[in-house]
Amino acid sequence: MDVGNKQHQIPETPTALPATEVLIGRIGWLIRLRWVAVGGVLIFVEAVRRLLPIQLFPSRLYTVLGILTLYNLTVWLVFVRLRRVRTDAVGSSRRDTGAVVGGLARFLLPRVPPGVNYYDRPAARAAVFASCQIGLDLVFLAALLHFAGGIENPLRVFFVFHVIVASILLSRRATYAHATLGLLLLSAVALGEFSGVLPHYSLQSHWRPDAYLDPHLVGTQLFLLGVTLYVSAYLASSIAARLRRREVDVVVLSRHLAEKAVHLEAAYAEVSAGEKAKSQYMRKVAHELREPLGTIKTALGVVLEFAPGAMANRTRDLIRRAHHRAGELAEVTQELLSLSRARGSRATVEHTTLDPGEVSRLVLDEMRPRAADAGVVLTVQIGEKQKEIMGDPEGLADLMDNLLSNAIRYTPRNGTVTFSVQVAHGKLAIEVKDTGIGIPQEDLPRIYEEFFRSKTAREYSPDGSGLGMAIVKAVVDQHQGTISVESSPGHGTRVRVELPAAG
Amino acid sequence: MADRTKILVVDDDRDLVDILTMVLTSHGYETVQAYDAPQGLTKAEEEHPDLIVLDVMMPEGTEGFHVVWSLRNRPEAYFQNVPIIMLTAIHQKTPLRFYPDSGDGTYEAGEYLPVQGFVDKPVEPRDLVSEVERVLAIDREP
Repeated sequence: MDVGNKQHQIPETPTALPATEVLIGRIGWLIRLRWVAVGGVLIFVEAVRRLLPIQLFPSRLYTVLGILTLYNLTVWLVFVRLRRVRTDAVGSSRRDTGAVVGGLARFLLPRVPPGVNYYDRPAARAAVFASCQIGLDLVFLAALLHFAGGIENPLRVFFVFHVIVASILLSRRATYAHATLGLLLLSAVALGEFSGVLPHYSLQSHWRPDAYLDPHLVGTQLFLLGVTLYVSAYLASSIAARLRRREVDVVVLSRHLAEKAVHLEAAYAEVSAGEKAKSQYMRKVAHELREPLGTIKTALGVVLEFAPGAMANRTRDLIRRAHHRAGELAEVTQELLSLSRARGSRATVEHTTLDPGEVSRLVLDEMRPRAADAGVVLTVQIGEKQKEIMGDPEGLADLMDNLLSNAIRYTPRNGTVTFSVQVAHGKLAIEVKDTGIGIPQEDLPRIYEEFFRSKTAREYSPDGSGLGMAIVKAVVDQHQGTISVESSPGHGTRVRVELPAAG
Repeated sequence: MADRTKILVVDDDRDLVDILTMVLTSHGYETVQAYDAPQGLTKAEEEHPDLIVLDVMMPEGTEGFHVVWSLRNRPEAYFQNVPIIMLTAIHQKTPLRFYPDSGDGTYEAGEYLPVQGFVDKPVEPRDLVSEVERVLAIDREP
């Protein structure tokens, strides 16, 4: 059996490496954010010039903005390429999961629990790329601030935004590094202006014109900014780390689920293979038994009918019993064959085009004499011209045979059995109604069990294997149909089977 | 009739062939036996029996069924007309009538099996004899 040897591969879930995808996605977000910043600065400059009593140097600011725009365009082009390479890598060969991620990338990428293949080479590349951008963004902000008052400009707190972006994209250490870079850049601007290396572009605001030369004031501002940046770095990266852990949990969980699903699938395959083997075995045994049993019965029949008349009555009686019992056994084996056949899959049982009316007539040929022997009136309603349906003719014959046999067997003399077959509304409806002994309510749920016979049935008739309704149910299931049984003990039973007639 | 009526019995169960032979012989028929499908075809050709009693030989294959078609597809009038009685378990009759396809184009989907009678297995000797009589009677009608 190949099922046991089959290797069950754990499917490569795309969630196994979310960080890289997320990181690349966030770089796109950073680029879009930068466009917003460019627009924002533009509007801000124009608004401030018109509305506030502040002196600005738009030409210098616009120069910086122009460079920023060019820079963002370049970044965007690099980003597009990075993303395409990424998609190709995913599409073609397996990516190098858990591969060598260099020292710089290891410093930049957020740490993840061991055992999770969280990063690959593209992730490392993306991290370096993102880190460079944030660094350059800090430089641009410092330049903008320099041309708009330097330390005077209250918008120096905007460095916090960069720190937050860094915390979302990069490791805690990298976030602190970027906070430090921001602080160093502003310090450089402040010290440059203080020492006269850089010119001071005064805003002419509420600050004293020479405030940038006051070491206490500058020192305090830088200190406050430093505290703000480091506290922001700490808080933001803590939150980001927590979210990232959650993300990893989800990844681990989904991998577990995928593994479980594979195991379940394997277990199911084993069970169904076992079930199939069992069914084949049953079929083989029944088939092996049926032929010799039939021959034994025929042989005994020949003895009973054609042996010289001088057979002792006792001998004749014994042979008659043996003949009868062989017949019973042959019938049970035949029913077991029918059952295993009906329980076989659609692969083993061929469904063909069939005329339900024709199948009914064949079955009725067998049933009419039986009904006559039992003194039961058999009423038949078969639709005039039956449409053909797809199905297993042998199974359908088994189904009708068993329903009718039951109805005739359990209906007392002078009772009636009504058999109707109709194809309508895309369904084949088969109904057998009798005025027989009925089925006790408490036994109804068990009638489809193999070898089950209700007490009333056993008392009424010694014949019957208890396989009939199991066969009926199996045939119904194989045809994806429905069956309903209504019974009133002492008054009769009505069984209705509906099979899909289309296709 | 000068010659006795000759019946060919084909079944892979030797005991059953012998028992049925006994029954038919005791009713005055001459019998020929075959124990598988190819042998059945050969015997039919050599002996030209008046009637063939043929086991369906299912479900190992549908050998009996193919025997019927091999005979009927021959050009000689004899093979097209020789009456055949199939031995089947009750519901094996049904798929025989609806058998979908020959695969080699020798007969069409949904075609009825061209046989003259059926006897259920396990065979009741009385049923066999009466079916043989019935089929022969029809065959002898002008």
